[in-house]
Amino acid sequence: MIGLPILTLIVFTPLLGALLLAFVNRKNESVMRQGALVVSLVTLLLSLVMLVAFEPQNPGYQFEENSSWSETLGIRYHLGLDGISVLLVLLTTFSMPLVLLSTWRAVTDRVKEYQIALLVLQAGMLGAFVALDLILFYLFWEAMLIPMYFIVGIWGGKQRIKAAWTFFIYTMVGSLLMFVAILYIRSHTGTFDLPEVLRQLRSDPIDEGIQRWLFAAFALSFAIKVPIFPLHSWLPLAHVQAPTAGSVVLAGVLLKMGTYGFIRFGIPLFPGAAVWATPFICWLAVIGIIYGALLAWRQSDIKKLVAYSSVSHLGYVVLGIFLFRTSGESSQLISEGMIGAIIQMVNHGLSTGMLFLLIGIIYERRHTREIDNFGGIAKVMPVYSTFFIIATLSSIGLPGLNGFVGEFLILKGSFTANPLFGALAATGVILGAVYMLMLCRRFLFGPVIHQENAQLPDVSTREVIYLVPLVVMMVWIGLFSKSFTDLISPTVHHYLQNLL
Amino acid sequence: MTLEFTEAEIRAILPSAILFLTGLVQLLTDACLGARDPEGDRGQKSHLVLTGAAGSVLAFIALGALTDPSAPLFSGALTGDLLGRFAAGIIIVTTLLTGLGAGGYLGAIGRNRGEFHALLSFGAGAMVLLAQSANLVAMFVAVETLSLALYVLAGYVRDWRESSEGAFKYFVMGAFSSGFLLLGMAFLYGGSGGGIDLAALGGHGDEPLIAVGAVLVLIGLGFKVGAVPFHSWVPDVYQGTPMLAAGWMAVAVKVCCFVALIRIILATGVNTVVASLVEALAVVTILLGNLAALNQTNLKRMLAYSGIAHTGYLMVPLVLVLASHGDGAALSGSLFYLATYLVTTLAAFTALSTLQQGDRDCDTIDSIRGLGRKHPVVALVITLSMVSLAGIPLTAGFMGKFTIFSDAVAGGKWHLALIGVIGSMISVYYYLRPIVAMYFHEALEETEKAEAAWGLHLAMLLLSVGILYLGLFPESIVSLSRGAVPLLAGH
Repeated sequence: MIGLPILTLIVFTPLLGALLLAFVNRKNESVMRQGALVVSLVTLLLSLVMLVAFEPQNPGYQFEENSSWSETLGIRYHLGLDGISVLLVLLTTFSMPLVLLSTWRAVTDRVKEYQIALLVLQAGMLGAFVALDLILFYLFWEAMLIPMYFIVGIWGGKQRIKAAWTFFIYTMVGSLLMFVAILYIRSHTGTFDLPEVLRQLRSDPIDEGIQRWLFAAFALSFAIKVPIFPLHSWLPLAHVQAPTAGSVVLAGVLLKMGTYGFIRFGIPLFPGAAVWATPFICWLAVIGIIYGALLAWRQSDIKKLVAYSSVSHLGYVVLGIFLFRTSGESSQLISEGMIGAIIQMVNHGLSTGMLFLLIGIIYERRHTREIDNFGGIAKVMPVYSTFFIIATLSSIGLPGLNGFVGEFLILKGSFTANPLFGALAATGVILGAVYMLMLCRRFLFGPVIHQENAQLPDVSTREVIYLVPLVVMMVWIGLFSKSFTDLISPTVHHYLQNLL
Repeated sequence: MTLEFTEAEIRAILPSAILFLTGLVQLLTDACLGARDPEGDRGQKSHLVLTGAAGSVLAFIALGALTDPSAPLFSGALTGDLLGRFAAGIIIVTTLLTGLGAGGYLGAIGRNRGEFHALLSFGAGAMVLLAQSANLVAMFVAVETLSLALYVLAGYVRDWRESSEGAFKYFVMGAFSSGFLLLGMAFLYGGSGGGIDLAALGGHGDEPLIAVGAVLVLIGLGFKVGAVPFHSWVPDVYQGTPMLAAGWMAVAVKVCCFVALIRIILATGVNTVVASLVEALAVVTILLGNLAALNQTNLKRMLAYSGIAHTGYLMVPLVLVLASHGDGAALSGSLFYLATYLVTTLAAFTALSTLQQGDRDCDTIDSIRGLGRKHPVVALVITLSMVSLAGIPLTAGFMGKFTIFSDAVAGGKWHLALIGVIGSMISVYYYLRPIVAMYFHEALEETEKAEAAWGLHLAMLLLSVGILYLGLFPESIVSLSRGAVPLLAGH
């Protein structure tokens, strides 16, 4: 263990950076951009230090910090990290420098507020991933909302205001119900501290009937964030309207907040209710996988297509999480699904994040995202197209790239737990390949139909700089998946054993 | 008969005495110097502001000198208990911050006359007295005195049509509600066999008469705090009142009248009729206040309805106390909530007070469009206050709601927490509208900012710090509010 409060440092470095930037003159736009980038790089460095010190075999919380925040209100400042959250924290710190680089040129209006909003958002996300006190988690969870709201509402597209509204109202409704449920847990156990709550609930579980209501409140909040069908309608709107950075953060990290919430809070707090709700949620996940894929297939806007593919991909993650035991009398616990789900969260962040970055690049050049306005891009922008194809292949789960690992584990788990869900989910994989490859064909290949596209410049050095790390990660996870699953599996095994 | 006061009595009356005296000094200074002021009503009149600020600070220090909370003072007319001191503290801080901004604000709308400053001090003095009142007569006198200041302030800008309308409506409604209050007090007097001390009301006497008296008092003070269904005057009055004074009214009146309400209701003993009536009022107030705020386009009216909704949240702890047969612990939720309400609401009104259109307040949503670009600091403070009003974490508003809702769940009244949460969901919609207007739209109308108003800027800064401080480190004020309660429950 290192002596430093490393988690606090990781969470608050972006916030401190945002605070410092607030005092920089708004005319100094380049200082603003460089400052934010430096802050995000420092955060990344800190998280790498944390990774080095992380002990993969230890299934418990590491780097714990636990002190009282408000004695009378019973809120504790309790942070901790385990195999479930370690990769998600890294994903967050890893994607932020790329995000900042991606909008170096695209955002020219209110640069100061933009950089500050992104850094605050990052702090909120990191905090939510490491918080082990229910109220602390809720604070970070809600704190993410405001910067994201501004990012969509100020720097978004034509329908940005509607998108920002929908995003905010949806999320807020969900989280307020979760808030009441958190208060109920406190009145039952007398504490907000997650490990303590879990300990007490094991000896004195909440009545099954009430558990279901509480689980529903948590699940609604998380399901909106994921989003699980039929609560997904805010997502395409927010994705399409958000600026590139917003879409990348949204798809890359923010959506995982929902699935992470299920693993960290929803299931362990209410195991009985979670088992009871499993068939229901799995059906919704499967519907989401297929419905999202079908909708993606029909889109004419590239960004919308990728947005709907997110609905489909997150469906796998939810399926993987909830198929943690076989159905029937002799239920056995299965860990593949959950391990796969966690890996898949990271993978989806990388591949979809990269796709959104690539869409941002083409949008900056052409100011359109209609597939019909393109064609033959491979001839004009060969390097760009190579990146696009790599991201596509990663997204559809080609063996050797990252997407395969997660999908494979989830499908393996699904077939063991319930072959029906496995088969249906596998259909989604095929559909995913169909719409993504069709997109590639129409977008990249064929003759150059439109004259505007003939002179498009290929990716610049700056763009290559932020795309290459993503490709490296994709190949790395694809080829050396064991080094990543090894970080996760001890915690997941321990987690599942303690569950029931 | 000679008048002899004990030391404790002098200490108890000191805060309000200082405030009244400050008002007098302000009035006289203005009468002597006002005519010589070259800038006339457009100047900042910093001497009045500083006098007021000094008076408030002294009064606040005097609060700390209150001793021996349990002994009856002035034959039981006043009490020096911690509940009164906590409320008086909030009132004085509100007055201090309002007074700080008053010079710059009134100068900007070209109406800086001495009486505004003096009325603020007089009103505050009466409010502090009300918070400390321990018998019916003292209470009624204090209510009437503070109302007098409020009627004048509501109609302060005579040439605004809304101002005259609002003041007239306020006066009629106020007189009407005082009637209820007085009738209620008469019933209490009769029911308890001729006792005017609150301490003598409970436990014995004619139960039905006391219950009727309590209900009438509830109606009378319900008017003053703006509880549904006695709320209809609130938006009209706020709309006509100068922005800064509206903020002061919204906070300070609610604090002192709410404390008086708590004192009387709890003194009359727990009665199931009264208890269920308070619960029903709380629910209706939360829901109706939030629903009515939804389609307001005038910011003052929106804040008025939001204030009504907040009255509903404030009543939840009272319901809990009544349900738990007089265990006053939950009331600390109300007290802490009042502190969060002070910083949040006053920040909104103060920030809006820095903006003018000609000589008028900037009070429509359209008028603050594009503010994020034009006046980023003011826009930031308004945003912070809206976020806090909506109860979003890391702000005072969240901590306030958190204490109330968690007490409600712990007290078995989880449905009240649920209704509160539903109210919050609704409220998010209208609290976001100013933010959308300020940041997502381009400017529509010309608005100026009172750049020279140093006091307003200072108050704005202090209030923003307060919002974040209470949101991040609630511990100190929460434990203070916890400490203020047990003595009350000792009846």
